[in-house]
Amino acid sequence: MSLHNANLTCWNCPAIDLAGKVDFRACGQAVEKFQKSLGENSEVHIMAECKRRPELGIFDPMSITFEECPEWKETPFGYILKDMRVMILGIDGYLGWTLALWLGSIGCQVSGIDNYNRRDWVMERGAHSVIPIARMTDRLHAAREVLGIDINFRKMDIMDRSHLKEFLEEVKPEAIVHYAECPSAPYSMIDADHAILVQQNNVLGTLGLLFLMRDICPETSLLKLGTMGEYGTPLTGRPLFEGIFPADAVLHWHDQEWSLGGELTPRDPVSFYHVSKVQDTFNVYEACKYWWLHSYDIMQGVIYGVRTEQVAADPRLRTRLDIDEWFGTVMNRFVAQAVVGIPLTLYGAGEQLRGFIALEDAMQCMTRLICSPPEPGQYAVVNQMSGYYSLRELAETVTRVGRKEFHLPVKIQRVENPRVEADRHPFVPIYERLPKDFGFEPKVPPEEAIYNMFELLTQPEIKERIEQKKHLILPRTWWSGVKKQVESIEVLEEVEVPD
Amino acid sequence: MNAPLRLTDATFEEEVLESKIPVLVDFWASWCPPCKMVEPVIANLAQEYDGKIKVAKLHVDQNLKMASKYQIVGVPTFILFDSGKEVQRRIGAQSKEQLNQMVIQAL
Ligand SMILES: NC(=O)c1ccc[n+]([C@@H]2O[C@H](COP(=O)([O-])OP(=O)(O)OC[C@H]3O[C@@H](n4cnc5c(N)ncnc54)[C@H](O)[C@@H]3O)[C@@H](O)[C@H]2O)c1
Repeated sequence: MSLHNANLTCWNCPAIDLAGKVDFRACGQAVEKFQKSLGENSEVHIMAECKRRPELGIFDPMSITFEECPEWKETPFGYILKDMRVMILGIDGYLGWTLALWLGSIGCQVSGIDNYNRRDWVMERGAHSVIPIARMTDRLHAAREVLGIDINFRKMDIMDRSHLKEFLEEVKPEAIVHYAECPSAPYSMIDADHAILVQQNNVLGTLGLLFLMRDICPETSLLKLGTMGEYGTPLTGRPLFEGIFPADAVLHWHDQEWSLGGELTPRDPVSFYHVSKVQDTFNVYEACKYWWLHSYDIMQGVIYGVRTEQVAADPRLRTRLDIDEWFGTVMNRFVAQAVVGIPLTLYGAGEQLRGFIALEDAMQCMTRLICSPPEPGQYAVVNQMSGYYSLRELAETVTRVGRKEFHLPVKIQRVENPRVEADRHPFVPIYERLPKDFGFEPKVPPEEAIYNMFELLTQPEIKERIEQKKHLILPRTWWSGVKKQVESIEVLEEVEVPD
Repeated sequence: MNAPLRLTDATFEEEVLESKIPVLVDFWASWCPPCKMVEPVIANLAQEYDGKIKVAKLHVDQNLKMASKYQIVGVPTFILFDSGKEVQRRIGAQSKEQLNQMVIQAL
């Protein structure tokens, strides 16, 4: 079977140079510029040059496929550009560091920036990553020594546009993965200062990046991280399409019918952090429209897990794992609670349904998307998740694995819900594009990732670090602004543990 | 063969204007989200009307001559040709039902 991106052509390739040969316009705008300049019989096509193979001269970008081009080589994730230059913004983070090593190991030339915001924010809350993480210099050194991967890192704030400009000009990335945002909903709900910080950092950082890409590298594909939380959980149970309505979704009104195809689907974010992601969605969408940027807006489910082959290769290469109420994601928090004997906490009914994906599977998805760049001007959306579960189901799975495999006396408790969110609701996410168009096959079921997490988190040094910060797990950040810790509603004793 | 036919400036005359059966042409562009979303509907029509109506696509940026000749003022634009003549035109994303109605008249 041929690889998912075998038949794409130079039209999709970031090494193409279309500069000056395109006609920026919108869906309802005429091709006037060309209408005027076109003589009756002139043959006008979009022609291009290749930045990697200048010897080709000017050619028709549809004439060479990835499969045919010697610059694209085969990998398990699709054809990829040889030594592809990928820049990761937010490379010191949970996902950024993991992806840097992953891409390095398949032969990409990885570069990246980070200003250690995440380390500072976690410290500000009095918390720490329960997996101790090395300083960046040690990380880079270990990557070279253990995996033979050289990473071109600059300590830099994404908002510092003059330095970012220089770095982009120096590296000329062929793909940019943009992780450099504050990823926490509760952090954005602490108070006005935090909400403003999160929105400024996320929205303005991204907006500035878009302008830099327009001026320096418009052919580069942008992989921008959004979240499934942008959609909210509509109580009608209408499907959560992949960002954009399909053509068969129609609006019926007063006996008339219109296709909604191609329009952004409604968003109903659930915190000021999620609002920042929605704002990003519109900014990226507009930039693709005005300047023919190429972008995947990735609506990512909640990530769980600590393992990829590369981060497990040496303690200095491990990625961070947080468990505090602000930066700990739910599954990671559950496992930490189980390890130190605190009941796993469900907020409210605990019936909230969320999309999830394992760390390693998320890395696979990102690689497949990098391999298959969008077309010029294409703003595309994928829902990146491998399954969805209620939080109660997940807590039960953690309980089973903890009791059965690690002989821990795990319990579950329901506490007051500090968030303003439906805790019983329908949820119909559509997540077909990654498997259908990009060949994604999830490899890591929750049980396996949970097992791996228990293995690591029960190590004495790490368990001790959980003990030190366990008072920061129970939430005290209320969406209402109230200042108090949540109270327990009930402890759920009955969790079946099959033999 | 029942996938939508990919037209170019060079093949337009033969495939569309000289076609023995009616032709539905989808004028589209890669930067246009409605064009992308309408793809599966078009593919479906091509299958359903195989042999009765030819369903074809023309990328307007790659084939400016025809895009310009037919005064495409917005994408997607759907034009139904019968015996070399334009008989119907619709602009903007269309549902399957709307495209069905469009082609049924040519049958
Ligand atoms: N982890 C998840 O479950 C999850 C789920 C959905 C979406 N996401 C999104 O994925 C992205 C990465 O998430 P993560 O879990 O790795 O978070 P993270 O906080 O570990 O990583 C983000 C990195 O970006 C850096 N950063 C933040 N602001 C910066 C700035 N102004 N300049 C330079 N660097 C900056 C941080 O220091 C951090 O290292 C985020 O955009 C997040 O919203 C994460």
